[in-house]
Amino acid sequence: MSLREMDVKATPSCQTNSLSNYFWKDAPDENKWADCVHCGMCLEACPTYEQTGQEQHSPRGRVHLIKSVAEGKLVVDEDFADPVFVCLDCRACTTACPADVDVGGLIEEARGQVRQAMPLTGWKGTVSKTILEGVFPHQNRLHSLGSLLKFYQKSGLQKVVRKTGLINVMPKHLVEMESIMPEIGTPVQKKYKKQDVIKAKGETKHEVAMLTGCIMDVMFSDINESTINVLTRNGNDVKIPKNQTCCGALHVHAGDRETGRKLAKQNIEAFKDADTVIVNAAGCGCMLKEYPELFREEPEWHEKAEEFSKKVEDISKYLYDTGYEKPKAELNTRITYHDACHLAHGQGVREEPRDLLINIPGVEMVHMPNADRCCGSAGVYNITNPEMAGAVLESKMSNVPDDVEMISMGNPGCMLQMAVGVEKFGRNQKVVHTVQLLDWAYQKEDEKERGK
Amino acid sequence: MAKKGLQTSDKDIINLAKIVGEKAILYKQPDLVAYDCDGFTIHKHLPKCVVFPNSTEEVAEIVKYCDANQLPFLARGAGTGLSGGAIPLNGEVIISLVKMKRLISVDLENRRAVVEPGFVNLKLTNSIANKGYYYAPDPSSQYACTIGGNVAENAGGAHCLKYGVTTNHILGLEVVMPNGEIVEISTNGVADTPGYDLLGLLTGSEGTLGIVTKITVRILKNPEAKQTVLAYFDKVADGSQAVSDIISSGIVPAALEMMDKTAIEGVEAAAFPVGHPKDIEALLLIEVDGISAGIEEQINQILEVCKKRNVREVKVAGSEEERGRWWANRKTGFGAMGAISPDYLVQDGVIPRSKLPEVLARINQISEESGLRISNIFHAGDGNLHPLVLFDARIPGETEKALEAGSACLQVCADVGGTITGEHGVGIEKREEMRFVFTDREILAQTDIREVFNPKNLLNAGKLFPSPGRCAEVKKELKEALKTS
Repeated sequence: MSLREMDVKATPSCQTNSLSNYFWKDAPDENKWADCVHCGMCLEACPTYEQTGQEQHSPRGRVHLIKSVAEGKLVVDEDFADPVFVCLDCRACTTACPADVDVGGLIEEARGQVRQAMPLTGWKGTVSKTILEGVFPHQNRLHSLGSLLKFYQKSGLQKVVRKTGLINVMPKHLVEMESIMPEIGTPVQKKYKKQDVIKAKGETKHEVAMLTGCIMDVMFSDINESTINVLTRNGNDVKIPKNQTCCGALHVHAGDRETGRKLAKQNIEAFKDADTVIVNAAGCGCMLKEYPELFREEPEWHEKAEEFSKKVEDISKYLYDTGYEKPKAELNTRITYHDACHLAHGQGVREEPRDLLINIPGVEMVHMPNADRCCGSAGVYNITNPEMAGAVLESKMSNVPDDVEMISMGNPGCMLQMAVGVEKFGRNQKVVHTVQLLDWAYQKEDEKERGK
Repeated sequence: MAKKGLQTSDKDIINLAKIVGEKAILYKQPDLVAYDCDGFTIHKHLPKCVVFPNSTEEVAEIVKYCDANQLPFLARGAGTGLSGGAIPLNGEVIISLVKMKRLISVDLENRRAVVEPGFVNLKLTNSIANKGYYYAPDPSSQYACTIGGNVAENAGGAHCLKYGVTTNHILGLEVVMPNGEIVEISTNGVADTPGYDLLGLLTGSEGTLGIVTKITVRILKNPEAKQTVLAYFDKVADGSQAVSDIISSGIVPAALEMMDKTAIEGVEAAAFPVGHPKDIEALLLIEVDGISAGIEEQINQILEVCKKRNVREVKVAGSEEERGRWWANRKTGFGAMGAISPDYLVQDGVIPRSKLPEVLARINQISEESGLRISNIFHAGDGNLHPLVLFDARIPGETEKALEAGSACLQVCADVGGTITGEHGVGIEKREEMRFVFTDREILAQTDIREVFNPKNLLNAGKLFPSPGRCAEVKKELKEALKTS
C-alpha cells in the first residue's frame, strides 16, 4: 500500500468495521438490518416495487443493498443512491414487516451517507440550498414567501400568468401543482404573535403547545386556525412557542441530517416547557417522534429527544384519547378517508381520525380501498421524482370512490398531492383536513344556536 | 431514476435489451446485488443480468438467445423461495416474471382461472372473493409470492391438509422449453389427459425443466361455514398427541398448525402478537370448514380431544377479526424470527404424524448439541415440520453449524420414514440431503429425465440434485455394470 493510499484510507474516521464502505458519521445502524431475514412480506406493500417490480426498488432489496455497503460489497455512489432515493419513505413496509424492521430509519441514514459522499450539485443542489436550507428553517422568510404567493394570487398576477401561457415555462408537474395552490391566508404564527396563550373557551382542562409547521402555516393557515378552534373549544389552553421552527422532515428525507439535527435542537428547546405538543401534520408529527434517531451519536441530546418525542401527539389521537365534545349540527356529506403514510404507518394512528369523522352527524364514510397506500407526495418527492410520484398518484386516485364529495386526511403534503390528483384526473372532490370537518361542524352548531 | 441509454459494452446485455427494451434490463452492480439471493440467504451469487419480459414471446426470445450463446439462465418470481431455487449459482441471466402479472380470465362456471406466472397468489383469491370463490393453496408468503413460483416449488400452505398442494390445483400450463419452444400442456384446462402426467412432472420441478408462462388453476367455492380453534398445551407431547387424535377421529380439518415455545416467543415479540401465554410448550391452531350442518359437532369433538390431552386453555374464534389476527400471527411466523434472531434457516421435513413426539424430542436434542435455538412452526396435520434454526451469520462458524443442525433435522425425518421436503423444494439447500431418501441410481434416473427437457443443462443448473461430479461417477459405474452384465 502506498503512502497516498494509506492517507486516503486513514481520513475516514468513525469506521468501526474495516470492511464497511460507510465512511461518514451517523452510518446506518447494523441492528436495524439484523432484524431482516429477507422473507419478502414487504414486497407488495411497496408502491415503488408495485410500479417497477424490481428488487432494488423494494424494501427488502434496499435493506439488502444498505447492508451490502457495510459488508464492503458495494460503495456509496450514484448507482447506490438511485434505489435509496427512489424510496418514497412511506413506511408501508414497516407495517407489513413481521419483524418490525425499521426500513425508513435505514433509508434515511443511508441518504445521510449519500449526501455526505456526494453533495448535491446542479439544479437539485440549488433547489436544496435555496429552499430547504434557505427558506424552511427561517420563519420570517417563509412568511415572506407566503405573502409573495398571496400577492401573486390577489394582485391578478396569477390570472395573467395562467392566461398568457407564461406558466408553461415550468415543468408539467409544477404547473399541475400551481393550479391547485390553495388560497393563502394569514399564518397563525403572525396572527397570534402578541398572544402568549390562546385561552380555552370555558373552563381550562389542559394546556398544550402547538407546532404550526411551515407548509401548514403558509399554505393552510386555515387548518391551523381550525386546530386552534377545536382545541380551545374542548378546554385546552393553546400556546404557540415563538422560537419553534421547521420540524426538519424534508431535510432528513433528503439526507441532510445535519440541518435536521440543528432544527431538532431548536424545537426541543422551544417546547421545553410544554407537556403536550400537538401536531396536525402527519409528516411533522412523525419526524418529531423520531428525533431520538438523529442523535444516536450524541447521548445528551438523545436523552432530551427521547423525552421530547414522548410529548408529541397528533391532533386526532389527542382529541380521541382525551375526550372531546361531539358536534351536534349535521354536515350531510359523503366523504372518504386517506391514511397519510406518516400517520398510519409512521405513528400507528388509523382509527382515531376515522372515529372523529363518523361521529359528526350526517357524515357518511365511504371506504377507500388501499386507503393507507401512499399518494406520492412524500415530502418533496413529487418535485424531485415527478415520474414515479405521478404513477403512484394515478394508482391512488383510481381507488378514490366516485360518489364522495370530500377526501379527508391529516397531512398537508398529501392534501396538495391529492388536490393535484383531483384536478389531473378530472375528479371533483374537495380535499380537506380531518380537523377542518370537525371545526365546520362546531361552527354550524354555533350558527344554529345564534339563529335561535 | 436511471440515465437513458445502456452504459455497457457487453454484447449479451445489448442483445437482450433489444428483446425486452432498455428499461427492462438490470446490469449495474447494486441492482445485481439485489438479486444475489432469494428467501434463502446462505448462498449468494451475482447474476449476469436481470431481464423483465412482458410476454411469452419475449421469454421465448430470451431463452433462444441464451441457448444459442451458451448462457446459463433461470426464472424468478417474487424471490420468496426458501431453498434457493432462484439463486444464480452460475451467474445466470435471471428472467424475472414479475411484469407478467395479468389475470387473464376467470371462468366461474368451470371453476378455473388463467393467470400469468407473476400474478401474486393472494391477489387471485382477492379478485374472486366477492363472487364467493377462492384459490386454495395458501403458502404463508401468499401476500407476496407468485403463482409461477408456486408451480415451480409445488407450494403448500396451511390449508393444504384438506385441499391438497399446488399440484392438485393446476389444470394446464404454457411452458417455454429450454430451447425456446413454446409448449402447451392440457390446453383447455382439462386435466387428466391420457399419456404421462406432464403437469405433475413440471409442477415442483423447481424451474429445471422449463419456464411456465401461463397457468390454468382450479378455483373453489368458499366453504359455507368456518370455525377456528386455538389450543394451548403445557406439554409438547400432549399437543402432538392431540394432533394424531384429531385426525384419527375422522375429522379432516382444513388446517391444523402447531407452534412450539421458541416460535411463540418469536411471534409474540414481532409485529402481530395475539397474547399467547409464554410459558406453554405448544399451541395448536385448528380450522374446520364445510357445510354449516356438521361444523358445530366437529368443533365439539376437537374440544373434547384437546381436553382429554390436558389442554390448558382452548377457545373458538369469536369473530372474523379474531380469526384474522390468529392467522396473521401464524402466517408471518418465519419473518417474525427476525425479532429474536438475526438469521434463520428453515427446514421442511415431512414425517408420519404418529412420530411427531419422537421427532420433536430429537430436534430438541439437536438444538442442545449444536447450541443453537430451534423453533418449530409447522403444518402438524400433514406431518410437515418446519424447524427454524436460529443463528447469527456474523459469528464465525455459526452459519456452518446452522447448516449442520438443519441437515441433522432432515436426517431424523428420513430416519423415521419421512422425507426432506414438503413444500419448500430442494433448491440449493437440500441437494446433498437428497441422498437421505434416494440412492445414486434413483437420482440418476431423475437427472436423465431432466436431460430430456433440458439437455444442455443451461436452465437453473446445480439445483435439486446433488453435485454432478458424483453423478458422473455413478453413471460410469452403471455403464460398466451394464457392459459386464
